[in-house]
Amino acid sequence: MPLVSFLLSFVISEKYSWIVSFTAPFLLLLGALCAAFVFFYLPADQHYLREVLWFKVSDHAISGGLFVNNLSGTMLLVVNFISFLVHVYSVGYMAGDSSIRRYFAMLGLFTFAMLVIVLADNLLLLFVGWELVGFSSYMLIGHWKEKPQAATAAKKAFIFNRIGDAGFLVGLMILWALHGSFNINDWSSPHAPTPWQTAASLCIFCGVIGKSAQFPLLSWLPDAMEGPTPVSALIHAATMVAAGVYLVIRIFNLFTPASLDIVAIVGTTTASIGALAALGQNDIKRILAYSTISQLGFMVTALGTGRPDAALLHLFTHAFFKAGLFLAAGSIIQSLHQAQQQAHTHFDVQDIRNLGGLRKKLPMVFLVFIISGSSLAGLPLFSGFLSKDAILTGIVSWAGGSVSWKWFLAAILVGVSFITVMYTFRMIWTIFFGDEKRTDGLSIIESPIVMKAPIIVLALCSLWIIISWNPFMHTRWTSPGLEHHWGVTTFSIIWVVAAFGVAYILRDKSFQARILQKGFYLDQYYQAITTNIGLKMTQLTAWIDRDCIDGLIHATAYAQVLIAHVTGWIDRALVDGTVNGLVSFVRGVGTVTRSFQDGKIQLYIFWSVFTIIIFLIWAML
Amino acid sequence: MFPTEHLLILGAFLFSLGLLVIITKRNTIMVLMGIELMLNASNLNLVAFNLFNPGSVDGQMFVLFVIIVAVSEAAVGLAIVLQVYQYFRTSVTDSINEISE
Repeated sequence: MPLVSFLLSFVISEKYSWIVSFTAPFLLLLGALCAAFVFFYLPADQHYLREVLWFKVSDHAISGGLFVNNLSGTMLLVVNFISFLVHVYSVGYMAGDSSIRRYFAMLGLFTFAMLVIVLADNLLLLFVGWELVGFSSYMLIGHWKEKPQAATAAKKAFIFNRIGDAGFLVGLMILWALHGSFNINDWSSPHAPTPWQTAASLCIFCGVIGKSAQFPLLSWLPDAMEGPTPVSALIHAATMVAAGVYLVIRIFNLFTPASLDIVAIVGTTTASIGALAALGQNDIKRILAYSTISQLGFMVTALGTGRPDAALLHLFTHAFFKAGLFLAAGSIIQSLHQAQQQAHTHFDVQDIRNLGGLRKKLPMVFLVFIISGSSLAGLPLFSGFLSKDAILTGIVSWAGGSVSWKWFLAAILVGVSFITVMYTFRMIWTIFFGDEKRTDGLSIIESPIVMKAPIIVLALCSLWIIISWNPFMHTRWTSPGLEHHWGVTTFSIIWVVAAFGVAYILRDKSFQARILQKGFYLDQYYQAITTNIGLKMTQLTAWIDRDCIDGLIHATAYAQVLIAHVTGWIDRALVDGTVNGLVSFVRGVGTVTRSFQDGKIQLYIFWSVFTIIIFLIWAML
Repeated sequence: MFPTEHLLILGAFLFSLGLLVIITKRNTIMVLMGIELMLNASNLNLVAFNLFNPGSVDGQMFVLFVIIVAVSEAAVGLAIVLQVYQYFRTSVTDSINEISE
């Protein structure tokens, strides 16, 4: 369905581009309904598999297949559903955009590629979807290509993803060498932890680091916020960045204990960096981006602690509440832009320091922010609480009874969830409470119903009932192995409430440390490293170029000239000389013979008589 | 009687004279006259060699034939010279030249 939408958006001419804004959400609705059908009618613990031969290399047949089980059914539903809501929202948000056709085409392509990732039954097909997702993300971040920051951010996202994908590809090669197969279902049981297995899983995890914005490669995600806000919601909060987590869940059996430890450490680092950086941001979308990074770090940590089910649960809840937050933020931005245009003023509407007291003017968005934000912060009665509880429970049981470095990671994560409450509270407080600062006197109207409806739906999905009836139990989703831990639950409730209190006390303090604002200067490090390496490389290549290659070229040039001179001389003196000699010889002969017969009969006679006389004299002698 | 040698020397002299006339004279008619001289020199030779054979008159008969042929040849030659003169408006051999450069 999304593929049809993508093709249709290409086919329809520019003149009728408004049609796209009806067809695309409609097709996505069909897709979402199909996904829901699959999700609810697929019996538990069963799967559906459809394979076709994709291509053959010598006698290795690579098949491309679709694989649906509970896990991919869940993802299928999330992707289709959120994509549908974002399509509907985009109809309102992107109305009047000149390149709306390209926009919907890319959204369709993205959703299709995401479904390829979700449904692929082997890693090669998954990799194809992976790359397609990266490409459409690049196109969508750079949608407003006339803005230089958008173009730069798109390039940055693409390059960072490429770095990770290189690792992914290497991992695929190692896997092929180890097992001779890309089929995910071949690895249904854990493998013996060999060093090569660890290497393969870590290489694949490199791809995850790139795609899910984990620790070394995380700085592209905040920059990707230059794209349209619905895109940020769909790609950079709900689905694409979660693809990495999903990939690890799918191939969880490939990971050895050693590599899982590394995964956990990377996840914790990411979570803390993201949360601290989110505290220092002022741009509403960048806050959300860093919070996404932090939540992804949570998921990856859950994977590292051997709890793929908890990670999936958090992925599921995060997709809804973060998409809701992003769409609500987009709604604020758009309302304020319109108000600005009417009032002929200008200020940065994404900067939360310019906002304040919006709860009266935008009550609906305020409500959504409260619900989704509480879910993000992990307040009880919201879905985020349940999934975070699952992750924390997993970590506690992973860390075990004795004190080790694992407890250190657990403590960091608990701290991170504290900070999560603080930055969420700070964001909502600054935007909606307090005095109106720059927005005072603007006549702000709420967004149209096409934009409101998806936000409300997403906010409702952030409530606890979407997960389980009991607001404190997450057992329906997690595997039986993960026991519910009342102690952890109680602790996290108290902890969150405490964080809430601290956040309230500190509500007017601003965390303006530059290190937080700049996202720990990661960009600057990259800049320095790549620039230095680049400079060294250029100097080296310049030297090679100048001294080796140029020298070689000059030498050959001289040799050529020399040879040319020699051949020129040979040509002139020998070849031409021979020809000229022949010519002048022939001309001489011609002249001589012609002189005998120039038409003067008496001379003919003279010569013949002369010849006869000579002949006679010779004969007589 | 004259010795045979005198006749032969006279013949050779006439022949050379005719040849000289043919080569050096510029007018075509003079060239024709040179040819007549050479024919007469050969006639003289024919008569002279007949002296070795007193009983026959073969040489004299041949001379008569040659004279007749020479007359016809002179007539044809003069006609050709006449045509050439009409065509080229000259009878100088050096000027009658179509293949010179």
